[in-house]
Amino acid sequence: MVLKMAETSPPTSCASSPIVASPMGTPLRKVLNRISGLASSCRNKTGYRGRCRRIFHRDVEQEEFQYASARCLSSYYSVFVARLAIMIMLAILIALLTVLTWHFTKMYTTKSLNTLAFGLRYELLQRPILRMWGILNSTSEITTAQVKLSEYVMRRYSKPSTQAELVELYQMMKDMTWALFASRKALNAITINYKNGFVQAFHRDHKNNSTFYIYSDLANYSISGTESPGNKMLSMRQGWNDQFIRGNVSAIWYREPLDPISGEKTGKALPIPPDEVINIAGPSQVPDGVASWHVAVSKYTDSPLLSAALPVWDSSNTSIVAVVGVTTALFSVGQLMKELVEVHSGYIYLTSHEGYLLATSTNAPLLKNTTNGTKLMMAVDSEDRVIRMGAQWLQKAYGNKFPPGDVVHVEKANLGGQHYYIDSFFLNLKRLPMVGVIIIPRKYIMGKIDERSLKTLIILISASVGILVIGCVCILILTNGVSKEMKLRAELISHLNARRRAEASSNYKSQFLANMSHELRTPMAAVIGLLDILICDDHLTNEQYAMVTQIRKCSTALLRLLNNILDLSKVESGKLVFEEAEFDLGRELEGLVDMFSVQCMNHNVETVLDLSDDIPKLVRGDSARVVQVFANLISNSIKFTTSGHIILRGWCENPAVSSDSVKCSPDQKKPLSALKTKLKHHGNHMKKAGKRDKKIVLWFEVDDTGSGIDPSKWESVFESFEQADPSTTRTHGGTGLGLCIVRTLVNKMGGEIKVVRKNGPGTLIRLFLLLTTPADGTEQHGRMDFAKHGVAVILALHGSMGRLIMSKWLSRNGVPALEASEWNELTQILHELFHPRTRNCGFDDHYSRGEPLRSRIHSLQDMRNPVYIVLVDLGLLDLSTDIWKEQLNFLDNFSGRVKFAWMLNHDTSNAVKIELRRKGHVLMVNKPLYKAKMLHILEAVIKERHAEFHKRSPNGNRGGSHECVEIDSTHFETCSSDDSEISEKGTVKSNTANCQTPKNCLVELTRLGSEVNILRAEEDECNAWPKLHDTEDAKCENSNSPEQHYVSSSTKDEDKSYTSKAANGEKSLEGLRILLAEDTPVLQRVATIMLEKMGATVIAVGDGLQAVDALNCELVGKEHRRDRMQTDICGSPPYDLILMDCQMPKMDGYEATKAIRKSEAGMGWHIPIVALTAHAMSSDEAKCLEVGMDAYLTKPIDYKFMVSTILSLTKRSA
Amino acid sequence: MDLVQLQRQLVEYRTSLYHEGFLDAQFTQLQELQDENNPDFVVEVVSLFFEDSERLLNELTTALEQQSVDFKRVDAHVHQLKGSSSSIGAQRVQKVCIAFRNYCEEKNVEGCLKCLQQVKHEYSLVKTKLESMFQLEQQILSAGGSIPM
Repeated sequence: MVLKMAETSPPTSCASSPIVASPMGTPLRKVLNRISGLASSCRNKTGYRGRCRRIFHRDVEQEEFQYASARCLSSYYSVFVARLAIMIMLAILIALLTVLTWHFTKMYTTKSLNTLAFGLRYELLQRPILRMWGILNSTSEITTAQVKLSEYVMRRYSKPSTQAELVELYQMMKDMTWALFASRKALNAITINYKNGFVQAFHRDHKNNSTFYIYSDLANYSISGTESPGNKMLSMRQGWNDQFIRGNVSAIWYREPLDPISGEKTGKALPIPPDEVINIAGPSQVPDGVASWHVAVSKYTDSPLLSAALPVWDSSNTSIVAVVGVTTALFSVGQLMKELVEVHSGYIYLTSHEGYLLATSTNAPLLKNTTNGTKLMMAVDSEDRVIRMGAQWLQKAYGNKFPPGDVVHVEKANLGGQHYYIDSFFLNLKRLPMVGVIIIPRKYIMGKIDERSLKTLIILISASVGILVIGCVCILILTNGVSKEMKLRAELISHLNARRRAEASSNYKSQFLANMSHELRTPMAAVIGLLDILICDDHLTNEQYAMVTQIRKCSTALLRLLNNILDLSKVESGKLVFEEAEFDLGRELEGLVDMFSVQCMNHNVETVLDLSDDIPKLVRGDSARVVQVFANLISNSIKFTTSGHIILRGWCENPAVSSDSVKCSPDQKKPLSALKTKLKHHGNHMKKAGKRDKKIVLWFEVDDTGSGIDPSKWESVFESFEQADPSTTRTHGGTGLGLCIVRTLVNKMGGEIKVVRKNGPGTLIRLFLLLTTPADGTEQHGRMDFAKHGVAVILALHGSMGRLIMSKWLSRNGVPALEASEWNELTQILHELFHPRTRNCGFDDHYSRGEPLRSRIHSLQDMRNPVYIVLVDLGLLDLSTDIWKEQLNFLDNFSGRVKFAWMLNHDTSNAVKIELRRKGHVLMVNKPLYKAKMLHILEAVIKERHAEFHKRSPNGNRGGSHECVEIDSTHFETCSSDDSEISEKGTVKSNTANCQTPKNCLVELTRLGSEVNILRAEEDECNAWPKLHDTEDAKCENSNSPEQHYVSSSTKDEDKSYTSKAANGEKSLEGLRILLAEDTPVLQRVATIMLEKMGATVIAVGDGLQAVDALNCELVGKEHRRDRMQTDICGSPPYDLILMDCQMPKMDGYEATKAIRKSEAGMGWHIPIVALTAHAMSSDEAKCLEVGMDAYLTKPIDYKFMVSTILSLTKRSA
Repeated sequence: MDLVQLQRQLVEYRTSLYHEGFLDAQFTQLQELQDENNPDFVVEVVSLFFEDSERLLNELTTALEQQSVDFKRVDAHVHQLKGSSSSIGAQRVQKVCIAFRNYCEEKNVEGCLKCLQQVKHEYSLVKTKLESMFQLEQQILSAGGSIPM
């Protein structure tokens, strides 16, 4: 889990800061390093934990782990860096896009809007100006028209001389002026100021929509005042002006309201003070006789007035007769501006060039009341805030110096915290230049844009951030897949590596096995060989024999184990092939029990072999495998049994005898029958075939009193590496492979194995094997009929199980048996048997079970002339103190009537054995007791008895007969075994005949034995097991001599025969010519001496080439000799035998052999070649035989073995 | 008295050699082969062994010093050494030879060199042991005694 966290943490840290730029890279990397370091340390921790758990693959796993983690880290880095780079690029891209988008949208909108706004502003300002322009035009038109008309009228009435004419003229003027005035509604007033001071004026008051006619009093004006204007022009004007102003003041003004439409008089003319109402344009306004414009203010209007004045010239164009003034209110311009602004918001104003306000779009007053009357207002003083500020801003910005063209466009003027557009236009009228200014709040045009642009910016940024986040997530997800794939790939690669390593290690394993087999088997072969030498030693005591034999057996077992290891690999690879060879099943199992009993004895466990009599002696099959099965089972049982017994039962399934065989285990009849029915189908078929092939089903049980197996595990214990209780590995060791191998083997042999229910503690494993019996090997039940001989056996044994089984078997075979489990019991029985008179003194009192025992003893006593055999377990004697000697003495009392046979422990001390021997107890067997041993004892005793019968008349001595029996017993064994091995026909009966001539037999046996040995040497090593028996035979055969030596001096003749035989052996190679090819000088010398000691002539050469040469030389020499001597010795080769080292310089043994075989092809003989090699592998052996060698000796050379080999070969060729 | 002590010393020395594993049964066999016909057989064979071994050891040393080691040759030499040492019963030398050959098969130069050192060591050991034993025997013989078996 920690690992998982560590894996995910770097990406999250990355995702949390996606816009981390490159400067952040290094600290980030550091953090990452730390995290990854932590993670790896965590991983290491878990690794440790795992290591504790699994010891087997510790190294490999750790290595792998480090490898993988390093790989992972690097891939993390690369993935992370890639992710970071992609994210940064994405961030930059999105930011760029955002900025660009924002920029372009804003720019173009602003630009187009600005253009639009400019047009709008221009338009807005243009219209009031146009209106103004229009007003000016119409005013000037009117004025001109008035002037023209006035000129016309006055010309008609030029020089009015009379009052009437003058009045008529004025009336005329009045009408004409009315007509003009009425036609122009916009006009404020038209005034005509005559030279004589008379004033006619029409005035329209727009406020109350009334029209007035204003005129001055005519009485004051005299026509005479008019002078000829010619020379008095300038003075006149001056005078006129003064007079005019004064005259005006003095004149009386009347105002006459008129109907605004018809011009009819509607009211009384009222006198008004002059200049009260309107400005009357006077001659002062036209000083130079051209039209003049000015802006005026009036009392009655709050807007400035535009007035134009034009002089009316007389017909001669020399003097001004009147001045016409037309006044137009600028009110309408203001009105228009208001209307415009209402639609478009903003402010417009017009100022005169000096800065006086002419019109504004606001309602702010344009005039100000001062003490001197109303005056025009400056724009900067306007009451309207915006206009004032705008004007101030303009003034501040430009002062009075307007830019060329007097056009100003300002887009962003800050007026009181708000932005405005300010545009001004200059209207250049003659005499009345005007400036129009428009102020539009920026908000109106750009407000939306500004607002929108902000929003857009926010939206854009948020959108881009969103996209960035999504993109990063996408990148994470996508690269996650990639990194996962990378991780998987890395894992795959590491797995591949691991597999490669595993394969390599398995190769190492097989190589190791091969090497081991070679290297272990060589010393083992040496050990066994040396033991054989030791066994042949003449100086060994009998006990040493036993020990050496035990060592020999164990060594062989070890060698077998080595072979089994090889076999195991064969089984694993499915290459196991079963041999089909005949073997003595009983003997194999006896050997097995012998072997294991040593082990069991230490555990205080009794090993019992209980084979029923119907098991055929010889079966066909793979003896090694069968033995392996039982060895595994028994060793397994031993492992789990601390006290009690282990019984190996065996019986043959045969419809006829099955009831008999099951007898020994009646309580297991039910499960057995169940199994049988299960097998019936198969079995029936089998039996039919079995009749022909002699197939038999052999049942076996291994019964122990160990810890037992839980029923739920009954099946699984046969699986690989499975043990009933995992904790047993600690206490008992083992791999759990043993039972698996057993089941595999049993199944391959057509059998089945299972655990069956058992009464009492322990395990009962039952199996059956399908084996064939040889067709000619008829059942050898030709056993002696013991009942006939009147033998009775007293079994004084410790092990209750073995005793019980043995006594049952004996009783089945007609031998009555008594049992005793301890010393006192034995003495009681002996007393009962042989001192019936004294038995009453307390026997009954001491033993409650005396009754049945006694009855059995009585039944024994009823027998006619019985032979009592007392089989005494040495363990019954009290060996811890010296009491055992007294016990022996006690037993000696019975020695005349009873035959004692002793069961020895493997660790029985020599002193005891010597003492026994001294007392004349020669029948000794090692534990455990089984059928065959019992048989031997019985037969020995019976034979001794026979001999006694025979010798009774010729007064034979006791010792001799003893000896004879002893020889017989061992002899019997060897004979039978050899017979079975070689001829497979030997029967016990024939041996009884042999025993009459022991000496001959012995010699013969040696021959046979050596031959057997040679044969064996040529056999494959797989036969190590049978070999054991051969060596056992050898032992037995050799054991004769020391025993003889020891026990008596009366067998001197035999002793001599043996020594003479041995003496013969010393020079057994007399006369043989042997070529020795050996490169090692030491070996060469040793072998030479060995052979020479034996009487052979040795020619030693250093290598194969020399050997071949020597041979050829000899041949040539022979040829010569033959030529010379003319004797035909062509039929015999130059050498009787060649000993050939295999590995030699120049030409090795194989090559040399080939060459020799080639050369002798034409000669008609065959020189035996014996290979000398240090290789113990059978492949070498095969190679040796292949090139034409006859036998095979391993280094170091075993003296006796070599001799026997040479003898056999030379004899064969001779 | 002196002679008896010498004889006992020899026996003890020989037993110690067997116990320490310098010699094995093969040497006993050699001794058995020695008789009136070949009174100096053991010494002869052993000195043969010394000569042969020294030759082989020299060759091995030179062979292993080569730039490219000819393992076949080395193996052959070791094989010979193994054979001769096993023939006189110098089993410790023999054992090292077995390991040596394994390294040869693996073509492991370092292992070979290590084994060579071991072989030399074992060889010199067994040589001094045997020589001192022969010296003892000589002393006994010169003192007029017989060599106890």
